Amino acid sequence: MSNLVDQITAGLKTWARVNSPWVIHFNSGSCNGCDIEILATLTPRYDLERFGVKLQGSPRHADVLVCTGPVTRQARERLIRIYEQMPEPKFVVAVGSCAVSGGVFEGCYNVMGGIDRVIPVHAFIPGCPPRPEAIIDGVVKLLSSLQSPAPVQPIMGPDGGKA
Amino acid sequence: MTQPIEKIETPKGERFIIPIGPQHPALKEPGHFEFTVDGETVKDATVRLGYVHRGIEKATESRNYIQNLYLLERICGICSHTHAMTYSLGVEKLAGVEAPPRAQAIRVIVAELERIHSHMLWLGVAAHEAGFDTLFMYSWRDRETVMDLLELLSGNRVNYSANVLGGVKFDITPEQAGDVLKGLDFLEGRNRHYLDVVSNDALLLGRIRGVGVMTQADAERLGAIGPTARASGVALDVRIDAPYIAYKDFQPALITETAGDLEARFKVRVREIEESIRLIRLLLEHLPEGELVARMPRRIPAGEAISRVEAPRGEAFYFIKSNGTDTPARVKVRTPTIFNMATVLSLAKGLQLADMPMILVGIDPCFSCNDRMVTVREAERAETWTWNELREHGIKVYQR
Amino acid sequence: MTTQERLQQAAELLAPWTKSTATPEDVRLDVVIDAADLGAAVAALHGARWGYLTAITGLDDGPDAGGLQALYHFIGGAAVVTLRVSLPYDNPTVPSVCGVLASASFFERELAEMFGVTVVDTPNPDRLFLPEDWPDGAYPLRKDYTDVPAPQAD
Ligand code: SF4
Repeated sequence: MSNLVDQITAGLKTWARVNSPWVIHFNSGSCNGCDIEILATLTPRYDLERFGVKLQGSPRHADVLVCTGPVTRQARERLIRIYEQMPEPKFVVAVGSCAVSGGVFEGCYNVMGGIDRVIPVHAFIPGCPPRPEAIIDGVVKLLSSLQSPAPVQPIMGPDGGKA
Repeated sequence: MTQPIEKIETPKGERFIIPIGPQHPALKEPGHFEFTVDGETVKDATVRLGYVHRGIEKATESRNYIQNLYLLERICGICSHTHAMTYSLGVEKLAGVEAPPRAQAIRVIVAELERIHSHMLWLGVAAHEAGFDTLFMYSWRDRETVMDLLELLSGNRVNYSANVLGGVKFDITPEQAGDVLKGLDFLEGRNRHYLDVVSNDALLLGRIRGVGVMTQADAERLGAIGPTARASGVALDVRIDAPYIAYKDFQPALITETAGDLEARFKVRVREIEESIRLIRLLLEHLPEGELVARMPRRIPAGEAISRVEAPRGEAFYFIKSNGTDTPARVKVRTPTIFNMATVLSLAKGLQLADMPMILVGIDPCFSCNDRMVTVREAERAETWTWNELREHGIKVYQR
Repeated sequence: MTTQERLQQAAELLAPWTKSTATPEDVRLDVVIDAADLGAAVAALHGARWGYLTAITGLDDGPDAGGLQALYHFIGGAAVVTLRVSLPYDNPTVPSVCGVLASASFFERELAEMFGVTVVDTPNPDRLFLPEDWPDGAYPLRKDYTDVPAPQAD
């Protein structure tokens, strides 16, 4: 009996999460290019909200963390803190070449590399910056994978957060 | 920044520090604001920058001149063309090369399109801070038109890579010019509407008229630049004071307002969009024929060059030193926001906390991430607000 | 006033402290002065309402070439006047100009953290860009700086 209840609630939660994911955005060192494109996805031409996506400010209510930029020394700790404050299950999307790998800033003294050096990442959206369509596509792909029996697995960079 | 800023100790009693941020105030970096307040009145304001400090200036010293073009373009995704252009102008000066006239004109066209996109972006964000989301959505919807034009010309919406050392990368065909003109017609109509809104909408005026006044004397003393200075009646515009490339032949008009309040800052920017539209039309009509690129040497002769460009937010300043190799010895970048940041912090003292979001926004710090972030400062009696909480606080106060 | 007249005026204002001058471009004037005279020179420009301070550039050419320098760039219209101060590697020090130009504070903080120049009497000596855990004595824009160890994982 309780098994069935669990199954149903789990199904219900996934349904809710897929249909209305709450997203928090964090810039850990980006040039703003990616950020304005993320903001553009929310505006009338692209209207990400039609997928139920809601951008909001508190990590404690968020399902998805959308990251832009390489991780700078200062931002690293905050990024980890936000990630930890998010409730399980949580998903991380790295938007832009910088978030994917450090991009042009790889090798700068205050830059630690891509997001996956610090926290696990589920979806990578390359581009400098990626077009709003690409960002939407990435988020939707991530969400639809949750319904499949084998959802995407997070990837952690080589040094596993010790960078 | 006139008074020495001490480390704030929260005394027992009514004063609270409200650290806010990091939000996105600078081209290079978001910052972490700390406001000391007494009740609703701001007593002191400080900022800590550097969350986005990546160490670009150092990195330029280990990359060659061409690689640096792409690196520096990514200092800021909003005025990327400005940075690439200022840098190119500096390097061209060192090499004794001048970009061909057609390239100069195309640089200016892209720069003015960028100004339109940046100002419209700002208009939306500022409206959002005021709780006026309708205007936010409208201006961002219309801004897509500029993005389309930039994409039409360059192939990318942001970071257009228009510049190469010695010229530009793409031409503007007559068909493209026609499309750009069509887009500008649409924008012009919309822009007239915005000017009407920011001059007449009673609700918006309630939050911007007479708020955050900076007199001309203050603006000069504190060193405001760009639209922030021009809204206080300071006649300062690099395009006019020290014309570069095609601005020598196609002068923009100086746009100033005298009130020095937030309303004036809105109006200056909206009117600048109008001026940019006029300038682009003019340039498209008189696009000089000829080459797009002048030949550049790979090794840049030793020397020092200074280049200045009017970015959407004010003067961008580059100092480039070459030691005769293919890698610069030093590139110093001074972005406009750091300048205006200092003015705004001095301005804040004595004002209402509820007005802070709008006042910070008024200088057009780089934006992108309004709904950002949150940190708790573990000091006793210090409260941490997120930017959003501050924004909502402002809106609530004005609803009363 | 034309740009040349402006430059002329600046040259006259700065004459008492000038050690040498150069004109790298026709709109520019480089004036070499002593660090100790910085306050007076800046006050002279400011007193005559000559332009504004647009940036302070730190420069490290290495000990064999120009050494450590601080460049104060002033702008008046199209004219750019640069006050050039040479500094020793051993305890480089400049006086703060914030008393005259309040807007210099950010620039001085940047100069201090990036080049290890002590700015005497600057109103706020805190770091501006570098992280709290940045090691003391590492100045990223010095030529001898190569890299710092990565911060500890927690
Ligand atoms: S990927 Fe490109 S646009 Fe995005 S933050 Fe990096 S440099 Fe900027």
